[in-house]
Amino acid sequence: MRLLKVIMFSAPVLMLVVFIAGCQGAYEDLDLSMYQYRDTKDLVKFVYDASLILKKEGMRSLAYFRNNRQLFNTPDYYLYIYDMNGTNIYHAGMEQLEGKNLLDVTDKNGKKITQLILEALEDNNNPHAWVHYSWWQPGKFYSVPKSSCHFKVETPEGKELFVGGGLSYPHEEQEFIRIIVDGAAQLIAGKGRAALAEISNPVSKYNYRDVRVFAFRPDGEMLISPAINSTFSQTNLLECTDEAGHKPFANALKELESQDTVWKVFMAKSRYQRRLIKKCLYIRKTRMAGREIYVAAITDLPEPPY
Amino acid sequence: MAENAEQYEYSVNQVPPAGHLFISSIQHVLLMVISLVLPILFASQINGTAEFAATLIAFSMLAAGLGSIIQSVGLPFIGSGYLCPNVCGPSYFSLSLSAAWAGGLPLMRGMIIIAGLVEMAIAPIIQKLKRVFPKFIVGLVVAMVGVSIISQSITSFFGLAFRDDAIQSLDIFVGMFSLMVMVLANLWGKGFVKMYCLLIGILSGWILALLLIPEYWHNLAAVKDFPLFALPAIGPEFRGITFDFKMIIPFVVIAISGSLKSFGNLLAAQKISEPELQEPNFVPIRKGLLADGFSTALAGLLGGMAVDTSSSNIGLAGATKVLSRWISVGAGVIFVILAFFPKFITILSLMPKPVMGASIIFAGSFMICTGLLEMFGEEWNPRKTFVVGISLFFGLSTAFLPSLYARAPHFIQTFFTDPLPTTTIVAVVLNQIFNLDIVIGNLKKKK
Repeated sequence: MRLLKVIMFSAPVLMLVVFIAGCQGAYEDLDLSMYQYRDTKDLVKFVYDASLILKKEGMRSLAYFRNNRQLFNTPDYYLYIYDMNGTNIYHAGMEQLEGKNLLDVTDKNGKKITQLILEALEDNNNPHAWVHYSWWQPGKFYSVPKSSCHFKVETPEGKELFVGGGLSYPHEEQEFIRIIVDGAAQLIAGKGRAALAEISNPVSKYNYRDVRVFAFRPDGEMLISPAINSTFSQTNLLECTDEAGHKPFANALKELESQDTVWKVFMAKSRYQRRLIKKCLYIRKTRMAGREIYVAAITDLPEPPY
Repeated sequence: MAENAEQYEYSVNQVPPAGHLFISSIQHVLLMVISLVLPILFASQINGTAEFAATLIAFSMLAAGLGSIIQSVGLPFIGSGYLCPNVCGPSYFSLSLSAAWAGGLPLMRGMIIIAGLVEMAIAPIIQKLKRVFPKFIVGLVVAMVGVSIISQSITSFFGLAFRDDAIQSLDIFVGMFSLMVMVLANLWGKGFVKMYCLLIGILSGWILALLLIPEYWHNLAAVKDFPLFALPAIGPEFRGITFDFKMIIPFVVIAISGSLKSFGNLLAAQKISEPELQEPNFVPIRKGLLADGFSTALAGLLGGMAVDTSSSNIGLAGATKVLSRWISVGAGVIFVILAFFPKFITILSLMPKPVMGASIIFAGSFMICTGLLEMFGEEWNPRKTFVVGISLFFGLSTAFLPSLYARAPHFIQTFFTDPLPTTTIVAVVLNQIFNLDIVIGNLKKKK
């Protein structure tokens, strides 16, 4: 009994010391704080770990990856390695792709996946090079939505490769829309009105699944509609309400008077169950032809588990 | 309560020695801390800053702590005088979020104050409802208090933070281990081990999680960013209180539902504190509901989230037979003090989810069985079968089929929200209808 009491009281003290001293995680140089879901964090860690192996062991590590395919092909994601010309070097789930150049391969919607990955790897605004597209799961016959992250690696032999992994049925992270909205705002600031066509192109990186980047002027006039591929119906966004009767755009613009970006939560109906769910609107201020405009996108918010 | 000295470790009015009082209070605080996930989630859903989240947590803790003290300390006109601490109330979460989107925190505060006042207004009526709550319905309500925390406990047990996210086998192992330690310490332990079975289970599960799951270890890095001591930073969001007429009806409905839940909790607290009572004593229940409403209004005034009585803590009290109301007061005092120590709050809020889940399951099992024993403790008849059966069908369906109720007519949506209030409302109404023949017969006899 005495021993139990000692253990009982020493355990919290020990824990407190550990807590207050703080501790270093295994991924201290990998910032995952922008992600909310464990699935997303697990995928980034999975790809990052593989990139470290490739970086350290170089081309020799390919034998290890090939001999241990089951380790790199889980029910939720699998690993692949490409060179910077788009040639597949290793694929944990689809061995038949190895050695093939997939630079021009598109998904069912016409998205040039490999080209988008190469673009994302050069984008400082997209630290884990996220790309969103449709693909198929090995052995299945239907398409699945995917979000993939990538790391560029220079092997000890001096070869430049990229390692990636895609999550099937991914969660909609807020970080994903932050990346595309900030990217679109930058593009508009640089190219002006010409950027709008590129942003509204359905096969560009600015559109995936139910997410699309849209743009509007401070008076609510739409430049790219959030709902359809046209602006013929000039609904004033500032007057639009959500399912609870709130005006998220009007409220957001008040906050944008003193800041460059804003996140606004609003209520919408879920796609399949028609119950009310929370969605999130991200808006960034930018300039086009000397005038202030707003670039935005909408995504789902994580729901409590119960 | 001296006559119960052998039955309990500490009876409801007994003051435990200082050491036991402190450790028991800590044990209850660890259960109360689980509800802090609500202000954290709330802040993330409205994209509040870290400073905003810290202030919201601090004010919520102050309200819950003060509410626990008022509920249990034994004031003349308010408070049940049972071990029945307050925590952030999940039933108010969604509506508070809607109010915050519509009119910011000032509107949320205003509407929570209204809800609190409504709860206070309901309290005296409860005493008049003695006839509509016969013993078997009281038992049903108490059992449903346990049932209503099943979703929260199981999702936590599996380590889920968000719907449909990944589940790790190690999380389940930690949850199982923690639960087994709590239960076996309660069943096989004596004295110290039995009394602190939850604390032992939580600490052992927590240590195991840190040893086995790097994610929990990694999360601890956040502790360094929080100061040891800090006063709540009252930013512009926390200034002002506003009201919106359009939101009054939903808040009144949720206040009624919250009162019913607290009614169930207080009945359960009474049942385990004073099992010798043949029928409910509605005086402490009324005073308890008044305290519950007052604490909710206080939360709105302070700028915290609405608070509610805690089913899990009552379950823990029942399971450990440590029923002293002074423990609830102690837990309230600790909660108030902790509100000013962000580093400690962060440490406690990082308790691994499977350990939290195990704690709620441990406490909830006791609530369910106490209710069932109460319900079947008297002679049964077909009327009761239909009252209980039908109310369970409809009550539990709100948890099994939430999307069905999303498409139901509006008046159904208003009352069929959650298993506990739905079962209670249906059972009370059906019991009155099914006994109409007896009422009419009695009236005829009188004539």
